[in-house]
Amino acid sequence: MADVRLSIAGRPYDVHCADGQEDRIRQLAAIIDEKARSVQGGTEVRQLLFASLMLADETQEARGKVEKAAPQSDSLRAAVALAESREAAAKDELRAAQTREQEALAEARAAAEREATALAELEALRQGAPVVPAPPSGRHDRALMQIADRIEALATKVEQIP
Amino acid sequence: MELDLDESSLAIGRIERALSRIEKALAARAERPASAATAPPPESSALKAEVAAVIGELDRLIGEAKHG
Repeated sequence: MADVRLSIAGRPYDVHCADGQEDRIRQLAAIIDEKARSVQGGTEVRQLLFASLMLADETQEARGKVEKAAPQSDSLRAAVALAESREAAAKDELRAAQTREQEALAEARAAAEREATALAELEALRQGAPVVPAPPSGRHDRALMQIADRIEALATKVEQIP
Repeated sequence: MELDLDESSLAIGRIERALSRIEKALAARAERPASAATAPPPESSALKAEVAAVIGELDRLIGEAKHG
């Protein structure tokens, strides 16, 4: 326990408090002293009475503010929850839209490949050649190009035969 | 109608034109006097081997395309 000497309305008071709470006690005593000294005239007991009444009034007013703020606080919490819920829904919708977009892109690519294949077959038919199924990938394109190189080289050699 | 062809179509076009050139050269050679045709050039066997190799490569490619 700690001993603290307080001075309120000009009179000293010796009180005990838990260790470490001395400053807090002095701070509270200073508030009471300020209120008591603001009451002009009257006895010491009357000054302390009015100081007590003023502090009780301030306490009640503070409690009223807290009670009024509580519903607002609840509204704020509800608004935050609603906003979070809407944000989560928007994120879900965004992810779904991205998935749909990727699927549409993949479908468009597949359609473009199918179109290229059909065009290759059409061109082969137009030139009266047997249809060589167009390869589905660049690997087959390159292989066809290499064969074209070799056949062209062959044609040149055959043409050069005396 | 102007066709927008992809790389494989261009390759097929080149192959067809080269085959046409070979066909023409062979036809012209067949029309020459027989004496000229009796002496095959020394690279004849190499040419045949190359023709066989190219045909084999084409067969392989067509087979691959058919079976995905």
